[in-house]
Amino acid sequence: MIEIKEPGLWTTVQDMGRVGKYHLGVPPSGAADKYSFIIGNLLVGNPAEFASLEMTLLGGEFEFHRNLIIALTGAPMEAYLNHQRLSFWETHQVKEGDILTIKACQQGVKSYLSISGGIKVQDVLGSKSTYELSQIGGFDGRKLAVGDRIQINEPLPGASKQVGKSAPLEFVPTFNDFQELRVTMGLSGYLLSDQGLKTFLNSEWIVSHESNRVAYRYTGPRVSFTEQYPPFGAGTSFSNVVDFAYPIGSIMFTNEEELIVLHNDAMTGGGFVTIGTVISQDLDLISQSRPLSKCHFITVTIDQAIQARAERKKRMETLVGLIKR
Amino acid sequence: MFNLPETHFNFGGDEYIYAEISRDMRIESNFKAIAVTEELRKREIPGVIDIVSSNASYLVRYNPDIVSARDLLDYLKEIDLTKSNPEKLNLSVRIVEIPAWYDDPVSREYSMRFKSRHPAPDLTDFEYVMKVNGFTDKESFIKSHSETPYLITMVGFLPGTGWHFPLGLQPNGIIQAPKYNSPRTETPERGIGIGGAFNVIYPVNGPGSYQLIGRSAIPLVDKTNPLEETSFLARPGDIWKYRPVKESEYNEIESSVRAGTYHNKVKGIDLSPLEYVQKGKKYIDELMEDF
Repeated sequence: MIEIKEPGLWTTVQDMGRVGKYHLGVPPSGAADKYSFIIGNLLVGNPAEFASLEMTLLGGEFEFHRNLIIALTGAPMEAYLNHQRLSFWETHQVKEGDILTIKACQQGVKSYLSISGGIKVQDVLGSKSTYELSQIGGFDGRKLAVGDRIQINEPLPGASKQVGKSAPLEFVPTFNDFQELRVTMGLSGYLLSDQGLKTFLNSEWIVSHESNRVAYRYTGPRVSFTEQYPPFGAGTSFSNVVDFAYPIGSIMFTNEEELIVLHNDAMTGGGFVTIGTVISQDLDLISQSRPLSKCHFITVTIDQAIQARAERKKRMETLVGLIKR
Repeated sequence: MFNLPETHFNFGGDEYIYAEISRDMRIESNFKAIAVTEELRKREIPGVIDIVSSNASYLVRYNPDIVSARDLLDYLKEIDLTKSNPEKLNLSVRIVEIPAWYDDPVSREYSMRFKSRHPAPDLTDFEYVMKVNGFTDKESFIKSHSETPYLITMVGFLPGTGWHFPLGLQPNGIIQAPKYNSPRTETPERGIGIGGAFNVIYPVNGPGSYQLIGRSAIPLVDKTNPLEETSFLARPGDIWKYRPVKESEYNEIESSVRAGTYHNKVKGIDLSPLEYVQKGKKYIDELMEDF
């Protein structure tokens, strides 16, 4: 069991997400940065999908009530085990009574505390991930609070052999204040004017403070719509379309000045002009982008998107070979 | 066959395929979306993760490590062409009664609170919807809105939010309303909203951009049991029928829901898209006759 002494800024239980429930309006949720999340699980000898704690900007303080094998991955927060500095991207043994203190990060946003055996909470609609808007899953459907006691499954037999292993440096992501996000264009992109499209692709976009697991908001130049009269049923604004189910990662303009990218806790449908979709692995980058950092959108074809996915998969397999028990 | 244009397919990143049946809203598009997605669900296609039927489109999420994106696209195109024949489509659905308190004080209060985002800040949402649809009398608006049965055309936004679209009306007879200029940050739980030609009922307090005209007395998500598929009231293809209630009955229903003694008025029916396309309102009147 882990006792929450300080919950940090926004700490939730997450796994790889909830699938097969989108038609009910239930978004996938799940780890915001899957790359860091998966490596955390690999380090402690877990399958990729076991539930971990996702921390945001500021970690918190945790007391271990039993001996466990843990790893920290993601945004480099300053971490201490009983006042001793604790490294990220490495497997550690912790003992009953140990206190883990995780302070703020200067780069990135999301960090993961992975524990051998995984966090023990009920599956809701097939997943342990927290979806806060509807209070579904995770620990009581909410972010953690002082005094919460989180149950941990029995560590995987042999997990102690993982202690001291680490992810080689070339597998540790860098957390930059500028990102290139790959996008497949389409959806209702025909409602953006040619000039609007050029503006979208040629401009730098700045992450706004109102960004979270639901959606990232960006500010930038003003774009223009084609100003076709909206189709029947959609409403009266040039940014309205007949409401449809949004892909996770879709890029929408609610008006000419507000760009939104939907993330894992998205509203699953709506009626705003949506011009393309960020490829799945670049959602990890988005979740690590801090307010006021910048990004640039670049278009890719479906074949390039699949190629990028295959490359990442191969990389992950290499890493599994290196740190597996 | 339905008189519909060719479906437009789009890749949405590396995990989604979006199929746009028509850009405008038509009941036929929705029937086709239901037909195609039912067929897809039945086939249990390896690698397909999520299948969502929407108002005039559908969305498929897949795992490209299991099924090739381009091969799945070809497969979907074929089903879209061959499995949307309304003659073979028969929907086993439900008619559900929604007791609704129109122009209630909570909806009024919310609509005044978010005035600055509203196209007509001096009116409540209810007054605004009446005005833009040419109604001057509250009771005749309520009568018009509640006597039309609505088809659940999509579920989403927040879990259990049901979009519904009037059945048996010509486009010029449909009550419509512009959406908020910028979404409200809060909406009363069970609030009934109109945006474009659609109605929604918001299951929980959250953001929203539809005009608030009243509240449902019954919940959209049954939270008394572990959450599962059947916990959600809104199901695509179902028909919802509003019944206007006054404050006292609204409160009675709310408290019997809380006590677990309220039973929704529900009737199972077979809905034939073909008959709807052929007979229109007359067919809907027949379906609703003894409800």
